[in-house]
Amino acid sequence: MPTVVVMDVSLSMTRPVSVEGSEEYQRKHLAAHGLTMLFEHMATNYKLEFTALVVFSSLWELMVPFTRDYNTLQEALSNMDDYDKTCLESALVGVCNIVQQEWGGAIPCQVVLVTDGCLGIGRGSLRHSLATQNQRSESNRFPLPFPFPSKLYVMCMANLEELQSTDSLECLERLIDLNNGEGQIFTIDGPLCLKNVQSMFGKLIDLAYTPFHAVLKCGHLTADVQVFPRPEPFVIDEEIDPIPKVINTDLEIVGFIDIADISSPPVLSRHLVLPIALNKEGDEVGTGITDDNEDENSANQIAGKIPNFCVLLHGSLKVEGMVAIVQLGPEWHGMLYSQADSKKKSNLMMSLFEPGPEPLPWLGKMAQLGPISDAKENPYGEDDNKSPFPLQPRNKRSYAQNVTVWIKPSGLQRRNPCTLTTEPSLQLHWKLIFLMSCELSVQLHSSAFTQLSQQQSSFPRQRSSHKYTDVQKILRNARKLPEKTQTFYKELNRLRKAALAFGFLDLLKGVADMLERECTLLPDTAHPDAAFQLTHAAQQLKLASTGTSEYAAYDHNITPLHTDFSGSSTERM
Amino acid sequence: MKIFSESHKTVFVVDHCPYMAESCRQHVEFDMLVKNRTQGIIPLAPISKSLWTCSVESSMEYCRIMYDIFPFKKLVNFIVSDSGAHVLNSWTQEDQNLQELMAALAAVGPPNPRADPECCSILHGLVAAVETLCKITEYQHEARTLLMENAERVGNRGRIICITNAKSDSHVRMLEDCVQETIHEHNKLAANSDHLMQIQKCELVLIHTYPVGEDSLVSDRPKKELSPVLTSEVHSVRAGRHLATKLNVLVQQHFDLASTTITNIPMKPTVSVFEQEEQHANTSANYDVELLHHKDAHVDFLRSGDSHSGSSSREGPFKETVTLKWCTPRTNSIELHYCTGAYRISPVDVNSRPSSCLTNFLLNDPRYKMDASLEIPLERAKDQLEKHTRYWPMIISQTTIFNMQAVVPLASVIVKEALTEEDVLNCQKTIYNLVDMERKNDPLPISTVGTRGKGPKRDEQYRIMWNELETLVRAHISNSEKHQRVLECLMACRSKPPEEEERKKRGRKREDREDKAEQAVKEHGPEKPRPDSDRLKGILERGKEELAEAEVIKDSPDSPEPPNKKPLVEMDETPHMEKSKGPVSLLSLWSNRINTANSRKHQEFAGRLNSVNNRAELYQHLKEENGEELGLTGGPRTSIPFLKCSHSPVVNRMETTENGKASRQ
Repeated sequence: MPTVVVMDVSLSMTRPVSVEGSEEYQRKHLAAHGLTMLFEHMATNYKLEFTALVVFSSLWELMVPFTRDYNTLQEALSNMDDYDKTCLESALVGVCNIVQQEWGGAIPCQVVLVTDGCLGIGRGSLRHSLATQNQRSESNRFPLPFPFPSKLYVMCMANLEELQSTDSLECLERLIDLNNGEGQIFTIDGPLCLKNVQSMFGKLIDLAYTPFHAVLKCGHLTADVQVFPRPEPFVIDEEIDPIPKVINTDLEIVGFIDIADISSPPVLSRHLVLPIALNKEGDEVGTGITDDNEDENSANQIAGKIPNFCVLLHGSLKVEGMVAIVQLGPEWHGMLYSQADSKKKSNLMMSLFEPGPEPLPWLGKMAQLGPISDAKENPYGEDDNKSPFPLQPRNKRSYAQNVTVWIKPSGLQRRNPCTLTTEPSLQLHWKLIFLMSCELSVQLHSSAFTQLSQQQSSFPRQRSSHKYTDVQKILRNARKLPEKTQTFYKELNRLRKAALAFGFLDLLKGVADMLERECTLLPDTAHPDAAFQLTHAAQQLKLASTGTSEYAAYDHNITPLHTDFSGSSTERM
Repeated sequence: MKIFSESHKTVFVVDHCPYMAESCRQHVEFDMLVKNRTQGIIPLAPISKSLWTCSVESSMEYCRIMYDIFPFKKLVNFIVSDSGAHVLNSWTQEDQNLQELMAALAAVGPPNPRADPECCSILHGLVAAVETLCKITEYQHEARTLLMENAERVGNRGRIICITNAKSDSHVRMLEDCVQETIHEHNKLAANSDHLMQIQKCELVLIHTYPVGEDSLVSDRPKKELSPVLTSEVHSVRAGRHLATKLNVLVQQHFDLASTTITNIPMKPTVSVFEQEEQHANTSANYDVELLHHKDAHVDFLRSGDSHSGSSSREGPFKETVTLKWCTPRTNSIELHYCTGAYRISPVDVNSRPSSCLTNFLLNDPRYKMDASLEIPLERAKDQLEKHTRYWPMIISQTTIFNMQAVVPLASVIVKEALTEEDVLNCQKTIYNLVDMERKNDPLPISTVGTRGKGPKRDEQYRIMWNELETLVRAHISNSEKHQRVLECLMACRSKPPEEEERKKRGRKREDREDKAEQAVKEHGPEKPRPDSDRLKGILERGKEELAEAEVIKDSPDSPEPPNKKPLVEMDETPHMEKSKGPVSLLSLWSNRINTANSRKHQEFAGRLNSVNNRAELYQHLKEENGEELGLTGGPRTSIPFLKCSHSPVVNRMETTENGKASRQ
């Protein structure tokens, strides 16, 4: 998760802090001290994460764009000038822009706001912003909630009493509320001094920046790993199950499945799975960077020489084109897979599915997945050329079962079946992925959204031509009797069923009349069976249209009249 | 949406009284008269749907869309009302599909226009609807059981959609009052019952429908709170297509749906020639298909900028559609894409040509149908992984047996939970086969990495192999008595009289006095074979040495650079190259090239490879024996994690993981 540090550089941050003995400190020095500690922690434990630094007063400025170079961030901290008054809203708008430009709207981002709790005066002050918050138009919307998943941490260079003496705390709490409660306010416990600032930032680190360490297991094979970024707790249903679920620190692989079978499933989040050195004790924060780095480098070198299960797993998944299903908790699963980030480089990654017994409907219940060897017959076939997935839902969806809907007279001039031509020339706009052979869904791929373009709706609205294509189908087959006998009766029965369910008995009578008329129009060359079948079908429909239970039973099917012309005619000859 | 929101339970109450048999007065031209055969044919009389037919097919369409998008946890109870209430289905999941409802509706049939209107009323249905809302669904029951003492968190909310023909606004008010009264009464009953739940919230949607061309006697009214429990809204809608449109709008509102239109889908229509022959047209035309889905599918899209353009045209009832251009899906299904959400869809116009063409294209042929699903829990898969990984060397050079084709028949079955007699026989055959190989003195694929010279002698190689095989088999003897038998066979075949070993060794000693391995064996005592654990440790240790040589594992996710594949040694490393001194002469360029080319044709002399300043230290191993240093030796550096070598026989090892591949029985 990228971080944006938003540092208040208004004049009030230069207020002196009385520290016994030593030289005079200002609040901004305390802030810089705390941030140094945060940066050091991240340089050690969050090496891969990007952080940006924004300073603000009445204006805002991006001092350091997103970077992994914590030295640059550190340097910027010592090169900050003092400016005029605090104007938080514009800074938050700036944060919105910076994050959206770099990461779009889907990547979660942490915003660390460092301020002294003096929230400005007059226009642009937080008080003013909050007061006018409901009178905004869409164009100058208040920047919270952020238009991306976020946490807003407010680090106050002031203690609680000081904030409570004005309405600052209240305003800041409103700010968190506006961000849908995503975030927290930190204040200094006790007098303002370096030690207490350290302990405040320590709390932030504990809350938001502790690395997630886990043990990856596959039978007897294990590896110690860091899961990065840290998986966040997930709430399934606020009403029924309000307790956030946290993933296990034992990540147990339960099996392997082909990429084609899992077919780009929707995931809550994605994480790198990084092997870590075995004998690393608790990560002490704030100790000298250089020493740590050296220790760690040598530790990493040693770790690189020990066979690691992660390497085995990553290589296997890549070669085999498979993913590993991993158990994250009770009724919660995820997948491990090899993700290429360039032609040469790829990483072992883990994605989390939504908790629940059946996160991916096309695989069925997770607990029902079992080893191939337990199957009587290999479901993948002897040559690995078939697959048991996707599963068919118990009830077919309407589009897969040839439902009868007569609400609109057939949409377009429909004739016979269309076939989709595959012209690969169209630009990618949206991924409509055929998921389940029996169930369709649209899958959202984050990258697609930036390319979406909206057009004026051009969906053709057909004027009602009131033609029943179901009737048309019957008629077409009627003219091809006796060759099309089976299809004719199939369509006839489909129409009959629907008419009975909708209580549309007049239609049955009408179609019966039509078939009788068709019988009179038969050409001389017609096969004699055609006349028999048409008369029989018309008669049966008429009986059904009376609505009497005997003939109007829903499950009853009209069967072809049994005739045998071929047999008798040959005998006569 | 919460699981137990109003949308969890929907009750349809459709009026089945005599007046519903009245025509909607919208003609249906069903007669297909073909142009070139029309002379002298009297067209059939036009027909029209009844109010009942319109109501039923519109509510079925509502259910169709709902079931497509929410196949579970969104339930419908269908009630028709005349002289009494007929409840057509229950809340159980089995009853939740269109076929069941259609069959039940067919059994009810159309309303009888000759029935006594005095006995018939929609009120019967409304009372039954309240009653049914109090009944607990299997999902509510399950949630309550799960939550135990927190059972009260499970809500009971619902929606009643009533389609009727009302007389007047005051008639509508009477219906509302009746529902309110009934809820009050039933909540009292439910309070004292374990099987019933009190209704916390009920949304009443009253739809007054009347024939096209008539004036409505009832006025529309937006949602209004009648009591803390009951809200009500009134829609006055003409029958026919207008009613269907209204219910389509409602299903979108009730289930938070949104519309997406996929435009420009290229399709080849097949045209009819003379109404008889079908033929593919050569031209492909582009069609649009409108889909409904949960509106969350648009959230990210709307967030990504110009969010307001979607609602610009307000002419139609469901014209807020996001329009997207079709892109022919690539058939490469072996790629994983980052997917943030998947949403079930339902076509707005399910049996229009383009819709069914699109859905059929996407559906392919239904592939797999489950037969009776046996209980094969995930636990079995975990169990299997446990067995398969009991002995699993991670480095190619750490294993001999998994590099040997001859061991496969044993290694592939020994991990099984239970062996058949045939399996045991195969294992024994494998062992005999290995004994035979040893007798014939066949070479073994033992890695020579990290060892000096030619590596261990042949009988030492076989000892390593037997030890490894024993480790594998021993890891599984607890599985069954038959596994035990395999071990017994192995032990019987591999053990040799100690005298013979001794004799053999002495003979070898004469042959090769400098054999280091020999010395090692001697140190550990020649008679007794070392305990297995020691031996295994030895092997592992060697593996680690090799790894140490292999520098850092290159294939880690962090740095998966391919291992150095350069053949042998680069000649420009040789000191006589003097490359740093000034411009290179043509001669040196040429000889350099020749040298490089030649160097690829032969294995470089080990001494030169390890030379410093073109000078190699001889008899390094003597130093090592004295324990002074562990150094690199002449062997080629081929020790890499075995998964890298996809062409080596070790790939067979991976195939055994496939047995852990998840499948469903």
